[in-house]
Amino acid sequence: MTPSQPTPVLELRKVFQHVGGRCLLNAVDLRVDPGEWLLIIGPNGAGKSLLIRLVLGLDVPSAGQVRLFGEDIVGLGDRPMRALRRRLGAVLQGGSLLEDMTVAENLLVPLRSRPLTRGEMARAVRLVLTRLQLDGLENHLPRSLSLGQRRRVELARALIHGPGLIVWDGLTDGLDPVAAHEVVALLGAEREHQNLTLVATDNRPDALSEYTSRIAVLDQGRLLFDGCRADLESAMAERLELRYLLQGRP
Amino acid sequence: MGPGRRPPFPGSIGWLEQLGLAWHTLRACGDLYRRILVGQARLDMPAFAMALRHAGLSILPAITLVAVALGMILGNQTQAVLARLDLPGLALLSMVYLIVMELVPVLVGILVAGRAGVALAVRQATLGVSGEIDGLLVQGVDPLSFTVGPALLAMLLMSFALAVWTTVVTVLAAFLWLWNLVGLSPALFVAALQQALTPGDLALAFGKPLLFALVIALIAAVQGTLAGRDPAGVARAATRTMIGAVVAILIIDLVLVLRP
Repeated sequence: MTPSQPTPVLELRKVFQHVGGRCLLNAVDLRVDPGEWLLIIGPNGAGKSLLIRLVLGLDVPSAGQVRLFGEDIVGLGDRPMRALRRRLGAVLQGGSLLEDMTVAENLLVPLRSRPLTRGEMARAVRLVLTRLQLDGLENHLPRSLSLGQRRRVELARALIHGPGLIVWDGLTDGLDPVAAHEVVALLGAEREHQNLTLVATDNRPDALSEYTSRIAVLDQGRLLFDGCRADLESAMAERLELRYLLQGRP
Repeated sequence: MGPGRRPPFPGSIGWLEQLGLAWHTLRACGDLYRRILVGQARLDMPAFAMALRHAGLSILPAITLVAVALGMILGNQTQAVLARLDLPGLALLSMVYLIVMELVPVLVGILVAGRAGVALAVRQATLGVSGEIDGLLVQGVDPLSFTVGPALLAMLLMSFALAVWTTVVTVLAAFLWLWNLVGLSPALFVAALQQALTPGDLALAFGKPLLFALVIALIAAVQGTLAGRDPAGVARAATRTMIGAVVAILIIDLVLVLRP
């Protein structure tokens, strides 16, 4: 690395994951620099969620390095791992809101470890609710919300402590086009507030087309492509496998 | 089950895993309480209030009814013994000792296990099944101290309170039964109480439920955590917590009884 290069926010080096004799991730290399937005696409079962779980330290890779904010998280202890996770915000596939807590209580969870007064916490909750157009929902339980609202609450929870990195598994999963557009637009608006780095997965290549040109294609655990959208289109013209994956036909 | 969420180890390795998890839970809760005491963390009051309801307030009517019934049963049995033996002091002394030292602590332990212990195991297991544990982890929150911390504190507080309450109600019910049917004098009853129980005995009687509560919470945390992502694991965790807690309560009580 040359001295002028920034420390990557996220870096995967030759990451393998074997489960039950199957290779689910195969020598994946990936680098995300500060402020960069990366969309990882691929069909169901490609290994996207597994990759995200490795990035978040929820699973341990069979081999390779996963570096978060410059630190190798493989084998990292509980305490330093918790400290690193507090520097990011995450939205997991299928949702992970605490169902027996209200929206406001859910939003307070990431703030608990911070030296804030109750008043400051309440203000942070109000601000993020307003920014994400969730006013009036603070006392609702997650089960009473629509899927689009739940996603926005999860985004609010991921953003409330001002993280440097957002990791989002299944950016528009299960959302209709209008709700998907709303969520992505809110995420884009957040970029105006803070220098966000984003790593998101989705099935749709155009999910973040307004905000980033960088795209990575994962299939059967292998990274088939990592580059800008324009290059992907020319790569698709040459590579049958990419065309088949992204267009559903050779 | 997804990759990385393996089933619990079988056999003796599994026991070691459970002990390790229990130790981790204990450490995580201890660390949370220390940070609360030095002002670096706050107790999750809604979770604490809910745990208080589970651990004590919701079982208060049931435990009061059980205590009254138990006192009357023991009063009746003592009445029968008094009728056969001319040793009223000895019979009363035995009854009081049995109630305060053994029956009430074990009863409180079993009821707390059935209500708060099972509730904690089910919550922990449900959080795992629904992915909420992962949600806590990625926010830099230790899920064990998050869920078990307030619950354990509530169980300790309510176990002590319930032990005192149940002892008073049971002994009073037994006395009222004997006073009403045999005409037992209050002075004789108070004398039996004083002879039967030293301050050390009382400390042990009210300390036992605290120890039981600690063990119940650890069993519930371990079983809830090991339930994995299979929804059937929730029911399994509840059953194992109840059985494990009852066995543990009786074994601990036996060890305390047999101690030199």
